[in-house]
Amino acid sequence: MNGSTSRAAQVSMNALGKLFGDKRALDDVSIDVEPGTFLVLLGPSGSGKTTLLRCLAGIERPSNGTITIGGNVVAGPKTFVPPERRGLAMVFQDYALWPHLSVRKNVAYPLATSSLAKSERSKRCDDLLERVGISHLGGRFPNELSGGEQQRVALARALAADVGLILFDEPLSNLDADRREQLRIEIATLTREAGATALYITHDQSEAFALADQIGVLNQGRLVQFDTPENIYRHPTTAFVARFTGVSGEFPVKVLSEKGGSRVVVALPFASSHTIEASSIERLEPHADVSLFVRASGVSLGPPANDEGVRGVIRDVAFNGRGYDHVVDVGEGFSLTKIFAPLRFDRGRNVKVCFDSSACFVMDPTREVSQ
Amino acid sequence: MAIAALETVPTVVPPSTPRRRGSLGGILIWIVLTLLIIAPVVCFLILGVSPRAFQQGSQWFTLQYVRQAFSSYSGQGIFNSLWVSTLVAVLSVSLATALSWLIHRTNVGGRRFWAVAMWLLLMMPTWMMTLGWSDLLQPFGAAQALGWDTHWFYGEFFGPLGIVIVLTSAALPFAYFIVSAGLQGLGPEYEDAARIHGAGPVRSLRTILPIIAPALVSALAIAFAETMSDFGVAFTLGYHSHFPLATYMLFNAISNFPANFSVAAVIAAVLIISTIPPIVLQSHVMRKRSFAVLSGRTRAPRRRELARGSRVVATAGVSLVFFVALGVPILGAVIGSLVKNLGIDSATGVHFTLIYYTQIFHPSITGNSLGAPLLLSDQLGLVVATGTGVLAVILARRLVANPGSWSQRVTDVFLLGSVAVPGVVLGVGYIFFYNLSFISHNVVNIYKTLPLLILALIANAVPGQTRFMAGPVSQIQPSLGEAARVHGAGRIRAWRTTNLPLMSRVLLWGWLLTFTKTIAELAISQILYPPSQEPASVSIQSYLANYDPGTGTAMTVLTLFEMLAIIAIALGVYRLVTPNGWRRVGWSGVRS
Repeated sequence: MNGSTSRAAQVSMNALGKLFGDKRALDDVSIDVEPGTFLVLLGPSGSGKTTLLRCLAGIERPSNGTITIGGNVVAGPKTFVPPERRGLAMVFQDYALWPHLSVRKNVAYPLATSSLAKSERSKRCDDLLERVGISHLGGRFPNELSGGEQQRVALARALAADVGLILFDEPLSNLDADRREQLRIEIATLTREAGATALYITHDQSEAFALADQIGVLNQGRLVQFDTPENIYRHPTTAFVARFTGVSGEFPVKVLSEKGGSRVVVALPFASSHTIEASSIERLEPHADVSLFVRASGVSLGPPANDEGVRGVIRDVAFNGRGYDHVVDVGEGFSLTKIFAPLRFDRGRNVKVCFDSSACFVMDPTREVSQ
Repeated sequence: MAIAALETVPTVVPPSTPRRRGSLGGILIWIVLTLLIIAPVVCFLILGVSPRAFQQGSQWFTLQYVRQAFSSYSGQGIFNSLWVSTLVAVLSVSLATALSWLIHRTNVGGRRFWAVAMWLLLMMPTWMMTLGWSDLLQPFGAAQALGWDTHWFYGEFFGPLGIVIVLTSAALPFAYFIVSAGLQGLGPEYEDAARIHGAGPVRSLRTILPIIAPALVSALAIAFAETMSDFGVAFTLGYHSHFPLATYMLFNAISNFPANFSVAAVIAAVLIISTIPPIVLQSHVMRKRSFAVLSGRTRAPRRRELARGSRVVATAGVSLVFFVALGVPILGAVIGSLVKNLGIDSATGVHFTLIYYTQIFHPSITGNSLGAPLLLSDQLGLVVATGTGVLAVILARRLVANPGSWSQRVTDVFLLGSVAVPGVVLGVGYIFFYNLSFISHNVVNIYKTLPLLILALIANAVPGQTRFMAGPVSQIQPSLGEAARVHGAGRIRAWRTTNLPLMSRVLLWGWLLTFTKTIAELAISQILYPPSQEPASVSIQSYLANYDPGTGTAMTVLTLFEMLAIIAIALGVYRLVTPNGWRRVGWSGVRS
């Protein structure tokens, strides 16, 4: 939570639900967002994150529940404040730039109803174009810009409104990898500088971890975990969250013993003599059938002569710039993916695979709701 | 039916917000549509088998009028209409495909000119075309004034040949715009892929033809339906050459004394039944024309550079088609309006004169100058085009707002069905329905008044105009309006600043099309004009029928030039008063 929070809005959603015909798009979602927070809602397609954002924007009317922005109820059983009176701005997935307006006029649009003098509006527009690095494109039309430039215009327009809440609807999903990274940093920086509360939706977990102060994970219209990025990564509360936030491998295991402090010992299915410690979010009895989830960050590779580790064979290797990502077969039908090593291990080579117990956790694989 | 064929993008982009409004607005719209279209047409059609339902006979159910309609001279008219429409559809689509390919895919000369000429052809009513041809070919006519001997062709023209030529010319633009849309979206990659994988030119052509097959089928369907429902040729050339067509026989059934509404209703039913299937087929295939046409990755089509000789031949061929379709009628009418004693064989020689243009405003025969009828037609055009535009935008929004919903499906089917109702059927339906004592005493008493004519003209234009607008409306991404709302614009400002600019061009063209079509409209005007309030097209016909072809022709030319002048002024004003950004967005370029 950086930057000024003087203007930032507090946002609360309470028991929010949305039905489209018989389909429940949102189911009893409750979230409180502190002013100035950069909240990322993470979830797969159809999880309800766009619906939630549109309810917040006033584009959709919730079927039940209440939404409060800056202390004012904007949606409730008998209340529905239209979008233009909610005091927010939004960056759309398809940018939603008006093709008949120049870049400058697109950015100045939210200022038309402000009390600023014309000269001040113009100056603010110039400042914003400068800040997003497109001051030279003010006279162009949207169809004369690249995707990245269009997204910068959309960002400038959202910042122009100078409001307490900015919504982002998967704004980077239409960009290539290079531009995505660059714009992600700009969004994070400029939004925090603006001092607004931000609500950002994405299906990309790396984007979520990079941007968020807080993350809400949605699945099938329900909020399944709401926490800091660190806790979401290290202590997922459901198998869905664990899988969606990225695991290197998932294996069926039996609990051998409990070690206290939410830790258990399990035997690896592909190396029965090898046991490892893993964390558990609930109390598990010995012999319980669970799944072992291993984060890629908790796996390392070493030469086969190492004493420590489990034997494996390199199936695939990919250069990623900083080093190499490996896929390792560790037994019949068992493999680990995305294992990073600064040095290359060639395909077919024997290796030893070591596990860091802090990146291993066990839970019921069918567990979809946090308890 | 006219501009329904110009649906540019039939695929409806579903907005992400399924709205559910069992609204008062929806009920109101259906009441309006019922009074405008459904009730007059349905009540009229019922007469065909149940005259007693509306006190027009003693039988509750009879097939007597069906037999009557098919057994007499009107049966001949129905048969003629069917085979002529089939032939015209094939001819016009063949020509349109060739023209479309030459204009869009080769470097044939005068491409821009041909594109403009096609719009002119679209706006030209068939009775004007007939008049031009007739003035040119008749003895002591325009051709003779120019020293051309055309008497050998005169007799041929006044028969099926002339009818097919004029109707093919009239159907050409509809087929052309549909085929062009298919051809323009067909990127070169398909042909490239075929050639790379070993196909020669013929096999390549065979490979890519199925891709534009939906457009060809659509064009055939719409050309058939347009020809079936045409009244201008039936009323002029068909009547004078004793070659009956169904629309004239329908008109004739209610013009005779006593009027036979039941036979007219049977003919109307035949017209509707024969045009609904092609239009439904057209709509169906246009929706499915997805192969290449709507792909965002489709590259711009490549033009084939014709060799010099081929280019000359191709340019000459295109010129010939436009000369026959557009040049001859205009030339015939313009020269005809300048020839003294046009078509009068007792005259000694042919002399050019401007007397008919002076007679337009100082009439000698009917007592009516063109001034008042033309002014009335302009006023009708203004009111009808504006009313139609408003209603069409509302209906188009309904059509694209809830894709897949019952409301959308019912509106869609209704509009498709309505597009297939010829103007002459609507006109007769109005005469019958609004003259019913129940309606005139309890609902509205507008029989034989100008409002009735206005309503019928709006009813005639709305279905086609709505479908014309539906494509562009569906192309406007919902997020553009949502972005305006989220960034502080109220409902009206959001529409005015985002949707209106994006639709401005299509609104203008839709308005101009309805305006010009209304000025020149004949079928409904002829049937419904109030006493002593003749619109221009009716007034012109009465001059022609009263053996004053010179003045009638001069009136026609003046009306045509007034239409063109209004189009030029409207486009000029649009260019002057709208911001640059509005003009950058075409009706297929509204995505940001």
